[in-house]
Amino acid sequence: MRSAATLFVAYLLLILQSTVLELAPVHMAVPSFALLVVLHVGLSPKWTISSSAVVAFVTGYLFDLVSGAPQGVHAFVFTLMALFARALTTRVAVNGIVLGAATSFVASLLSAFLIVLVRAQVAPEGGWGGLRQAPLEAVLTAIAGPFVLSLFRRLDGRVDRARSRVGLARGPRSGLSGSLSSR
Amino acid sequence: MVGSSKRWREGAVVLVTLIVAVFTLRVSARHPGELSTLDRGILRLVSPGQAAMSYVARAITGVAGRYVELTGVRAENEALHRDNRKLRTELMEMRRLAEESGRYQRLLGLRDATPAETIAARVIAVDASPYFRVARVDLDRGEGTVRRGMPVLTPEGVVGRINRVAGKSSDVLLLVDPRSALDIIVPRTGGRGILRGKSGENGYRCSIEYLARGEPVKEGDAVVTSGVGGAFPRNMAVGHVTRIIPGAVGLYQDVEVTPDVDFARLTDVLVIVAPPPAPDPEPGSHHTPGRGLTVFK
Repeated sequence: MRSAATLFVAYLLLILQSTVLELAPVHMAVPSFALLVVLHVGLSPKWTISSSAVVAFVTGYLFDLVSGAPQGVHAFVFTLMALFARALTTRVAVNGIVLGAATSFVASLLSAFLIVLVRAQVAPEGGWGGLRQAPLEAVLTAIAGPFVLSLFRRLDGRVDRARSRVGLARGPRSGLSGSLSSR
Repeated sequence: MVGSSKRWREGAVVLVTLIVAVFTLRVSARHPGELSTLDRGILRLVSPGQAAMSYVARAITGVAGRYVELTGVRAENEALHRDNRKLRTELMEMRRLAEESGRYQRLLGLRDATPAETIAARVIAVDASPYFRVARVDLDRGEGTVRRGMPVLTPEGVVGRINRVAGKSSDVLLLVDPRSALDIIVPRTGGRGILRGKSGENGYRCSIEYLARGEPVKEGDAVVTSGVGGAFPRNMAVGHVTRIIPGAVGLYQDVEVTPDVDFARLTDVLVIVAPPPAPDPEPGSHHTPGRGLTVFK
């Protein structure tokens, strides 16, 4: 249920991302809402590492379809980003607006680099260009980051309440993800 | 023991996810532009949402723009009656409609002027990712007739080519995408080259490759399609030379082109579904070549 709800909101955000240019005063880059979904599932203690990787893959795959990118580029990069976010939680507790924005900024830059790297392998005619837009996209993503992450935390809270009503409440993750997050 | 097996299971799922992602990448690298049945199904589900959101976004920007205008007028004319304001709102709505109508008329003009069969399409999304300059369009009609590689135009000039097709909606690889290549000509000098998108720029820019040094271009020179390849009609506006990068060595010039089309403001486009009819070898005869469908490669 948590995955389905997250993917549905991710779908809405992806549609918003693909049409937000109509509204945005900046016409060259948009905040990467899809990446923020991935960051949330990677950073949240309520997600296991496997489910965060699968949701990141599906979000990336959907984003590949929506953005016209070669299939698999974002799916692969977002899966790596979910693992990156999970690894990050073993070092830093990403709470609050400033850390949320900073994490979104760094993750956006890293994902831009990975996307260009993977694109150069899949579509070599595209070359290595594109990184000049990365800082602008990262700034926009950092601005949107705390709000979107907070939205997903609320969504998780609602899912928890719904699960507890039917006796399916789940605590923080355990297993491999639990061992990764223990500090 | 249970914890250990769970860790293994978690690790295995992550590994399998990564392997599936790599496999997907390999498949798309081998067959670019092809969509599976699942992909087409997903896109059929996504496209109406995009179309609706695009419609709402355009309405919001229209209303917001008009609101900004209105607040200025209101500050100067506080004494104006409510009726007056209502009339102004109506007037602005009429202007918006007139503007829209003008856009459609220009599109119709282009359709009449284009010596090829075309289908109109509405842009429902553009540039979801800054690393892939792609627009999604919804076709007016002719579902099933659009193929990969077909040219896409606006009255301002060339937009790009169809890259992927899923039912009524299609992805257009914009001229400014680095994967795009178009044979062009600079009419003033007669120089020919290949126009490629420059994704690395903070702006919609292209560059011309293989433009010989013997035919030096100037800033402001127009760039048009050469017609080579048969997909694009000859002499369609593409853009203007905005920068000649100095210091280039070798046989070719290093030239930057700004497209005539404002890709951030794309709303309606035409897809050429058949090339222009071949010139009549016997001008005296009354035979008119048919406009058959051609698959572009």
